[in-house]
Amino acid sequence: MTRMHSRLLRSARVAAIAGFIALFAAAANALGLPPAYAPMVVEPAIVAGRSEFDLGPALARAKREKKRLYVYLGASDCPYCRRYENFLGKNSEELVPHFRPWIVVDLRSTLSTTADKLAIRVGDSVLNYTEFQRSIGDQRARMLVYPSVWLFDTQLKPLMQMPAGNGTFETVDEQLEILNLVQ
Amino acid sequence: MTMKQPPIHRRRLLLGLAALPLAAAPAARAAIGGLPSNTGHTDTSPEWEQLRGKIFGTRPISATSGRVQMIAPLRAAYGASVPVKIVSQLPQTPELYVKRMYVLVDKNPSPLAATLELTPEIGQADFETRLRVDEYSHVRVVSELSNGELHMDSRYVKTSGGCSAPPNRDSPELIGRTVFKLPEPPKMNAPTTADITVIHPNDTGFELNNVTVMFIPSYFVRTIAVSYAGRKIFDADLDFSISENPTWRFNFVPHAPGELRAEVEDSKERHYTGRLAVG
Repeated sequence: MTRMHSRLLRSARVAAIAGFIALFAAAANALGLPPAYAPMVVEPAIVAGRSEFDLGPALARAKREKKRLYVYLGASDCPYCRRYENFLGKNSEELVPHFRPWIVVDLRSTLSTTADKLAIRVGDSVLNYTEFQRSIGDQRARMLVYPSVWLFDTQLKPLMQMPAGNGTFETVDEQLEILNLVQ
Repeated sequence: MTMKQPPIHRRRLLLGLAALPLAAAPAARAAIGGLPSNTGHTDTSPEWEQLRGKIFGTRPISATSGRVQMIAPLRAAYGASVPVKIVSQLPQTPELYVKRMYVLVDKNPSPLAATLELTPEIGQADFETRLRVDEYSHVRVVSELSNGELHMDSRYVKTSGGCSAPPNRDSPELIGRTVFKLPEPPKMNAPTTADITVIHPNDTGFELNNVTVMFIPSYFVRTIAVSYAGRKIFDADLDFSISENPTWRFNFVPHAPGELRAEVEDSKERHYTGRLAVG
């Protein structure tokens, strides 16, 4: 084997190892809620410069299956979102059974999608973030924070006032408090 | 009516509290997962044990009498604006009444959020306001009765970042505007509910200006003195642990038509007045 071949082989090995590392890192920081929770992923439709998320199909499914909705709004460039998603991923074995009464919905957004650029569609009704929050009596109308979670019944009625951000339920016990609607 | 001067002793107390050597406090217990284990609503905390000694000395405080109740959400929508309600199970009569109330947030940088001096004119010593809660913490109310008894209730609140949430500075020209509202028509000779709001950023001093990358100096409402028809209803000695645009819901007993009046002073010693004709 020539010196050049040996160098090429070494470079290839380094590249392969780097590739594996990158792959694992990407998996550890995969975007969105972990597959173990079987989330319904909702990508926004861009309508008149706004990101419009359609909750209609999730709501229809919730009615059909008589389940509650766990609606998660995350942003692709939001470290706090990755932290929550990683928390769910790490604890999926323990948490997934508790999510069974819920349909998990994963709204995929970006930090540049501010309150005035985000809209929620349900059937024919399209409301911007603030209007939507006011329409359901959510106190978080004033400011959009990533990530956010809503808990809905099959009539899209909030089951509990949720906090802005997910920092207060990133332990298993606290996630269970949320799922059990502990107030 | 005379404006209550900013109580120097309180400021000294706050400075003293800020410098409390936490290392001397009872060790905080940690649960599996790193969360503290003193998360029961009526649990104590190392911070509370220090505060209690500083403010109340060795006076007994009953936490089981049910004389006063603190109502707060386990998780609020925003840490910068946690709604709390204080309910007294004691009518305000000249014979026995709630003379003073202390509202505390154990883990805030300045834990004594408010001290209220009350009179029997308030009718019913119930209050509602919004607090900044900086991190997981107990919020407490201690009621001091006119006979010297102390009664306490507390709630554990889970939140984060309250002290660094951006305040609303859309209309600086409105700072100090003081507005009364009556949610319902007044009832003569009976407790009548009123709201007072002071438009004010109530800056904590812990928030960075994103443009200048400098800390915004603390600037907050220090006192509110409320009277009706010239008679004191309550005086509030406040801090930046009260949310921006400090709002208080309270009661008063109108015996005849008169004027609700508030004298407000902030930490730059600016004075503001609010008025509302009643009846």
